Amino acid sequence: MHAYVDIGVHAFPEGADTLKRLTLAAYQLGFSQIAVTAHSPHWSQFPDSSLPLGVEIVAATVRDLRKKIAFFRDISTIISVHGGDERINRAACKDDRVDVLMHPERGKYSGINQVTAKLAEKNEVALGLSLDYFWKTEELQRSRLLAFQRRNVSLCKKFGVQVIITSDAYSHLDLRAPRQLKALAGLLLLSDWEADIALSKAPLSIIKRRGQKIEANL
Amino acid sequence: MKPLSPTLRDNYRYVAFRLSFEDPIRARDLQTEIERTTKSLFGDVGLSKLNVRVVAFDGTKGLVRCNIRHVPELQAALASIGKIKSNRVCVTTIGTSGTIKAAIEKYLQIEEKTRRNISSYVTVPVSGKAVRICGEEIDIVPEDRKTVDRADVQFIGITIDDNERLI
Repeated sequence: MHAYVDIGVHAFPEGADTLKRLTLAAYQLGFSQIAVTAHSPHWSQFPDSSLPLGVEIVAATVRDLRKKIAFFRDISTIISVHGGDERINRAACKDDRVDVLMHPERGKYSGINQVTAKLAEKNEVALGLSLDYFWKTEELQRSRLLAFQRRNVSLCKKFGVQVIITSDAYSHLDLRAPRQLKALAGLLLLSDWEADIALSKAPLSIIKRRGQKIEANL
Repeated sequence: MKPLSPTLRDNYRYVAFRLSFEDPIRARDLQTEIERTTKSLFGDVGLSKLNVRVVAFDGTKGLVRCNIRHVPELQAALASIGKIKSNRVCVTTIGTSGTIKAAIEKYLQIEEKTRRNISSYVTVPVSGKAVRICGEEIDIVPEDRKTVDRADVQFIGITIDDNERLI
């Protein structure tokens, strides 16, 4: 049996549920672990005693992104980048300090192309596949975003970019069971086996890799 | 009309599910929402292939029937339900079975924790009124609605460990 992990969960005060409530709900659904990531504007709202495991950097410009990566890399285990803007997506894939590029398709286009995909593969940046579009969006907006996601998944498969699946949950009502996430990933061209890896091995390897990097630096 | 012989009938699978909700949901609304979501995801042809129907629903747990070849599609459709009549919900599949009897025996005989209403003012971890408790889970209506609006929910969810005064 796989150890399923979700590394894109937003807890209180950014989300609506506390970490304990989310952990309880995730455990009941079949996850073995969840990792809270906070968007960078909300990071300071968390008390020092319970800082999130990861940060999702929101940046307006590439320069701002680099500055924030430099700031967060020592204090956060997982460095994700809030994708959407094409320049930000590319800059995130170019930087080997970044672990995950979350939802690059939230802009005008699908967000990544063959150049970005090659950079992501070279710098070991994983693509974060947020499946919350299925229950948070409707009709035409959903079909547009899913088309972008499908294109991104096929690019990642072609160029060997790691994919991770997250529910991008802000409350326990946004969490879905691993078997449901796998069924949804199946609609985005991921096979059962690939979805299994995206939900278990890939996120675990990101958490471990970061720990190894810190140990090596010490 | 003479009924079809058993060998000629469609074969079904029964998917047991658990419903998490903010306000109680009626079975009819759930059936309508499942059909609407399935149609939205797979179209009219997909909906006809799935042949989905809510067989049983007691408010928190239930059984949905679908064609034996389309169980993953039904799981995807159930996962895609986020709201029923502007009420936030989450439908979690528990398991799949070939008969109603087996599905009930395997998945639906687990006792659910009872949900009761409370009324207590709290300040930790957020200022507001604790309104519901279900097992270890407590729902709070916060004074500052910024966080719940961001998450598109009504309540802040905490556990007893977050505020031991409420036990």
